[in-house]
Amino acid sequence: MNRILPDDFIAETASVRRIRPGIVCMTFSAPGFRSLPGQFLEIEVSPGPFPVTRRPFTVNRLLPEGFEILFDLRGRGTELLSSLSPGSPVRVLGPLGNGWRLGPGKWLLVGGGMGCAGFSFLAGELEEPPTVLMGASTADRLLPFDDGDLRVITEDGSSGPRGRVTDLLPGIEPGDYRVVAVCGPVPMMRGVWLSLPPGHRRRVQVSAESRMGCGWGVCGGCAVPAAGGGYVKCCSDGPVFAGDELDWDRWTV
Amino acid sequence: MTAPSLSRNLWGRRFDSPLILAGGTAGFGRELALLDCWDRVAALVSKSVTLKPREGNPPPRIQETEYGLLNSIGLANPGVNSVVQQEINGSVNIPCPLIVSVAGEEEEEFHRVVEVLEGSPMPWAYEINVSCPNVASGGLPFGSEPSAVERISRAVARVSSRPFAVKLTPNAGDMVETALAAQEGGASGLTVCNTFLGMKMDWRTGSTLIPRKVAGYSSPALLPLVVARVWQVSRTVSIPVLASGGVARGEDVLELLAAGAEMVQVGIRLMRRPRAASELFREAEELLQ
Ligand SMILES: Cc1cc2nc3c(=O)[nH]c(=O)nc-3n(C[C@H](O)[C@H](O)[C@H](O)COP(=O)(O)OP(=O)(O)OC[C@H]3O[C@@H](n4cnc5c(N)ncnc54)[C@H](O)[C@@H]3O)c2cc1C
Ligand SMILES: Cc1cc2nc3c(=O)[nH]c(=O)nc-3n(C[C@H](O)[C@H](O)[C@H](O)COP(=O)(O)O)c2cc1C
Ligand code: FES
Repeated sequence: MNRILPDDFIAETASVRRIRPGIVCMTFSAPGFRSLPGQFLEIEVSPGPFPVTRRPFTVNRLLPEGFEILFDLRGRGTELLSSLSPGSPVRVLGPLGNGWRLGPGKWLLVGGGMGCAGFSFLAGELEEPPTVLMGASTADRLLPFDDGDLRVITEDGSSGPRGRVTDLLPGIEPGDYRVVAVCGPVPMMRGVWLSLPPGHRRRVQVSAESRMGCGWGVCGGCAVPAAGGGYVKCCSDGPVFAGDELDWDRWTV
Repeated sequence: MTAPSLSRNLWGRRFDSPLILAGGTAGFGRELALLDCWDRVAALVSKSVTLKPREGNPPPRIQETEYGLLNSIGLANPGVNSVVQQEINGSVNIPCPLIVSVAGEEEEEFHRVVEVLEGSPMPWAYEINVSCPNVASGGLPFGSEPSAVERISRAVARVSSRPFAVKLTPNAGDMVETALAAQEGGASGLTVCNTFLGMKMDWRTGSTLIPRKVAGYSSPALLPLVVARVWQVSRTVSIPVLASGGVARGEDVLELLAAGAEMVQVGIRLMRRPRAASELFREAEELLQ
């Protein structure tokens, strides 16, 4: 896989849309921008001194002259970002991290909540349309996806059966898939990992999440427990890891 | 008094910029090379190195607050032997002098780490970090006690062929007294200073996100606290002062130089802006014109 070198550049806000209650889709114009699915960006949410760090977001989609992100309104940073208007310049560092380890064969994508951001981008780079298991708290929180065999589940039963995304796994034959790609909250990812028969776990890739200081590998703030002891850096060793690179017992946050 | 010049002199070397990348916020330079961010970087301080490997503190290690950043990294590093092989000798050639930061859990560790580093041709100087707030000993027994700082400095001076700065803590003791002790022990400079001890608590539950609870706090709002300390220390000692803390604008660099700093380090601003040195230099230069 040839990495695309990151850069600290200025993109122009192209559009801001609230696609669901509390979920915002933003597009930016940045001619020449490239990235791989699973890579992320560190976006400066305000030109002033505070907040002192940027915010990390997965590249949801590449556009002919830019990119799109999809995010949950969570706090100060995401509120500031969503209040920008078209034409506003924004400082962006990226693309960062390694991205999914692309390869042939049929993929199973398992996502919870905002973890499904970027699934369409990933699906578009695969040789065969994947099977997608998508979970959310309610129908309102399901993310758009239109590129394969989509099965949804919600905690309140407002779309699909009532339950969590791990409840969809019994209907799946893991041996049918070359790769199981997982992204979402840590307890959900652990649930998927534990419910797969150990013999199938080597197929798993997970996109990890961690509080980040820099996002580009210099601060050591984004530690994720590594199998065999110690830590890996989510931002520069990941964010995508093989499931067996991580210590699932110690990974609690 | 005239406005400060951006050309500086440190330990017999001339620099066309006062800006040094602060310890623990620039790794060992590998990532900067990837982004090609060397413009106006006078020198790089590595992350702190200890004798044995340290895996560091459990996550979360970073928490942002309204006006700053808490970090609880805990001196994560693979130990000096492995650092020398993999990061210092074997890594990319960084196009600026390398200052290796040295930390320890006990007094005797600092000079032992320096002894190992003396075996490598790469370091230009050392920074002795007696002030990390993120380890069990708190860095405080060394960093806040002038007699311990003097002993550590003396032991390092005995084994070192290179200049070294002692990085002081703002968290306990009298910084001027500790600075004088370091100078007495043979330090070639002083870094003023390390992060301030901080904590963020959830008032509903009384719990903290960071497992070790207290952490190191950095913020541009702390600049006046650093300016005061740089001024107090630099007018008392005769060795150069490297300012560290609170720099976010070119104006902050000029202020620290005016307060008596020879060089100015940049930490969290670099984490946010990989080209911080270049940007700060340009801003300062424009103000001087
Ligand atoms: C590699 C990566 C990719 C991500 N991609 C997306 C995405 O595509 N869409 C999306 O909605 N969210 C994504 N997130 C999570 C997103 O970064 C946080 O929701 C966001 O930083 C919250 O910022 P805030 O200021 O609004 O929230 P606040 O809660 O006010 O943030 C306070 C601090 O905590 C950090 N923080 C809070 N929640 C998280 C979290 N879940 N993960 C990491 N840091 C957090 C913030 O960065 C900030 O420093 C991603 C996180 C990572 C690490
Ligand atoms: C994530 C992080 C890691 C740090 N690690 C170290 C370290 O290993 N050694 C050290 O001497 N200082 C360390 N520091 C302190 C910085 O070098 C600097 O002194 C401090 O952050 C204040 O400067 P600033 O306001 O420019 O960030 C660290 C700071 C941060 C934010
Ligand atoms: S966030 Fe700084 S090293 Fe990963």
